[in-house]
Amino acid sequence: VKSVEGEEVPYSELAGDVTVITFVATKCPISNDYNERMKSIYADYHPKSVKFVFINSNKAELAPEVKEHMASHGFQFAVYKDDGNVVADLFGASVTPESYVVKGGKIVYHGRIDDARKGPVTEHSLRNALDATLAGKAPAKAQTKAFGCTIKRVSES
Amino acid sequence: LRTLPILAAVFALAASTSLARAAGPDSLVPFNEQEHREVLAGKKGQVVLFNFWATWCAPCRVEMPHLVELAGKHGSKGFRLVTVSADEAEDKDAALNLLREHGVPGPAFIKSVADDDAFINAIHENWSGALPALFLYDREGKLAEMWVGETSTAVIQAAIEKLL
Repeated sequence: VKSVEGEEVPYSELAGDVTVITFVATKCPISNDYNERMKSIYADYHPKSVKFVFINSNKAELAPEVKEHMASHGFQFAVYKDDGNVVADLFGASVTPESYVVKGGKIVYHGRIDDARKGPVTEHSLRNALDATLAGKAPAKAQTKAFGCTIKRVSES
Repeated sequence: LRTLPILAAVFALAASTSLARAAGPDSLVPFNEQEHREVLAGKKGQVVLFNFWATWCAPCRVEMPHLVELAGKHGSKGFRLVTVSADEAEDKDAALNLLREHGVPGPAFIKSVADDDAFINAIHENWSGALPALFLYDREGKLAEMWVGETSTAVIQAAIEKLL
């Protein structure tokens, strides 16, 4: 991935023992509905040594736009650009927002942040997966799905 | 005498408005996994395109008039467009208004499920939940094509015509 300044950042520099990779977008209303929740999850789990990698793989959302979006929403974390959607292809990510929890080189959770975009949340899917992983257990649900925006890839016309 | 053209214009406007309304659905019907199976079973013998969309999905809004055009073009040959809005209940009116604006033929549904995860998996296990999503079924009710994300109308049209 690249920083919004255009510098190459190797994944090895970003990954930790437990890493959360989240594919986000600047224009997707669903991804934007989760901005505050992403900030709150980062604030709660970053001190617990969880590394976070936020990635924008949309071909039409360029680095300056991602930088502006980060600033305007007060993200306390960086969003990286995945030019050519290489990382999205590697993970098989297709929707925003979409998270992966990786531990020891293995994906232990893949899916939604929680189960309610607008209404009351009944399942904090990503938090539950992180709590389980940090406790050395397998998440009760390894995969969940939610409605979201398609990641627009360079391979598409 | 001056009022006559004005009256004519008013009547013309009223007629066109009522026509536009008549072309769209009156309401959105709640839709879940079971409804999906029942609609498919009820439309056996027809080629059915399920369009999962939402008001917040920009490519879905772009795609909608093209799908309506295909429905009009191939309706007499047994092609049916079935729309399912993935909007939240509070956005129901906005979804219905959009369908009316485009004169989308019925039936028109809105997802009404306890858990989106189970619903998405029931429609297709390989579907991530990304919108727009189109599922084309043949006259036997068997899935022929699945498109997720922006898809060219020409591709959709060719696949429909192959099944008709």
